[in-house]
Amino acid sequence: MYLENIKKNWMLYVMIVPGILYYIIFKYIPLFGSAIAFQDYQIFKGIFGSPWVGLENFKFIFSYQDFFQVLRNTVMIAFYQLIFGFPAPIILALLFNEIRLMFFKRTVQSLFYLPHFLSWVVVGGIVFELLAAEGIINAIRELFGAAPILFMQEEGYFRTIVVISGIWKGVGWGTIIYLAAITGINPNLYEAAVIDGANRWKQIRYITLPLLFPTILIMFLLNIGNFLELGFDQIFNLLTPMTYSVGDIIETYVYRAGVLQGQFSLTTAIGLFQSVVGFILLWVFNRLARKSEQGLW
Amino acid sequence: MKKSLGEICFNIFNYTLLSVIAATMILPLLQLLAVSFSSPIAAESKQVFLFPMDFTLGTWKHILQNEVLWRSFGVTIYITVVGTFLSMLFTVLTAFPLSRREFLLKKPIMLAIVITMIFNAPMIPYFLTVRELGLMDTLWALIIPGLISTFNMIIVRTFFMGIPSDLDDAAKIDGCNDFRLLFQIYLPLSKPVLATIGLFYAVGFWNTFQPAVLFLRDQTLWPLQMRLRGYFISPEALAEVNLVMGDYDFNTITLKAATIIFATVPIVLVYPYLQKYFVKGAVLGSLKE
Repeated sequence: MYLENIKKNWMLYVMIVPGILYYIIFKYIPLFGSAIAFQDYQIFKGIFGSPWVGLENFKFIFSYQDFFQVLRNTVMIAFYQLIFGFPAPIILALLFNEIRLMFFKRTVQSLFYLPHFLSWVVVGGIVFELLAAEGIINAIRELFGAAPILFMQEEGYFRTIVVISGIWKGVGWGTIIYLAAITGINPNLYEAAVIDGANRWKQIRYITLPLLFPTILIMFLLNIGNFLELGFDQIFNLLTPMTYSVGDIIETYVYRAGVLQGQFSLTTAIGLFQSVVGFILLWVFNRLARKSEQGLW
Repeated sequence: MKKSLGEICFNIFNYTLLSVIAATMILPLLQLLAVSFSSPIAAESKQVFLFPMDFTLGTWKHILQNEVLWRSFGVTIYITVVGTFLSMLFTVLTAFPLSRREFLLKKPIMLAIVITMIFNAPMIPYFLTVRELGLMDTLWALIIPGLISTFNMIIVRTFFMGIPSDLDDAAKIDGCNDFRLLFQIYLPLSKPVLATIGLFYAVGFWNTFQPAVLFLRDQTLWPLQMRLRGYFISPEALAEVNLVMGDYDFNTITLKAATIIFATVPIVLVYPYLQKYFVKGAVLGSLKE
């Protein structure tokens, strides 16, 4: 039966070969390559020749001061992004949905999506320029007689800048999915609510939000699996040596210690730890989600 | 319908707030544009807001004469064109069999692909794999490792599945094979979705940064984003020529502003034409699990 199917549809099997090779080479081989986290990987011996050391690398990272600093930075930034960054597009979509002027709607929408298409290098450049000593923010501060602040060099501002720049870049794009979900809500519900005397706030509270909840839940689950993956590009382009103590995250640390300094096994162990935490979070929240509504699987 | 006072207040608040947010999306770019056309003295003395002060083309002359920057621009155009084409080809070739009912391996392969969305390989084994393949210090390192975005592949597959199967029954009876079915019937019907993922891929390649950081030691291969990053860190590299030429109608502030605008202009130029596509694509992609 299989043979017959292959014979009849052999072209489909030929077509998928490039894709399968792609996934094997660039997804599965690196995934299994994570085994070097359990080795004392030596570049010339390769993955098959390097000695196995069991959990040594993991023991080492958990007794390592740097690791805890990097982990704390990662978790804190991730947490702030979840609290402030995740609800931002939902709130924006709700406000945006109340706009009735089509001209205004279209113009504003175009502007909202724009930053999504800029690279983090460019956004980082913009942030540095605006917050520089000669930048516009300090110019405005000076108008009010305040002394200039070197925002990008000061530890106290780094995480705030990361969260705000992340919202700035992503919030408009993030609204698309929620706006689509709101558009799908049956307008009769609103008409009925208006007849019953519900004002706009009550309509949002009792119709839009509850019906939006499944979408919110799915977006949350899609987010939570990457909880610790903050995005290399953003942090790398905002970080300076002066802000390492608060801003150095797992990805930037792994790049420096792994790629640049060649500590392959150790940094793979850290990377693996990150992936495992992501998976556990996804699994736990998916279970919780399934109890109330529906989860991802 | 009569509006209550509360509703009017809310409307004023809402329109104002959204206008302010929208303004923050464009004003920083306009401000940097103004700085790039201003004299170095004005830029340094924080006088430039939305209009250039002491208008000068000096900065832009210098930028546009910078061969290194143009070279990176060329690299970025090259990887964007070649990368987008290859990505679309790979994506379509993968999505089509996975959308066919008669393709028996559909389920296990989809599962294997979705697993890679949940378990990301850590950076180092990924880096070592690409290095083992001999892609270090080649432009292929910026193209091949990112050929298929699973997100885009699923968008295309979903779209293919929505095409009525009567159509391919008819084509099959007329002796159409699977390759012709894909390229002559499915692809022409899929123009909107192809435009969408083409846009997503093109923007991705245009903005490529991390692969360049990881895989390119050779500076002559640096794409635009990598070059910009270099200039932001040490603007002297951009300004060096000016000392030789004795031309001083720009400084590092105006140069940085101009390079940011330089990298943004192409995106802003194509943006209005593409807008109608990407919203549809984003919705399709995120709704379908």
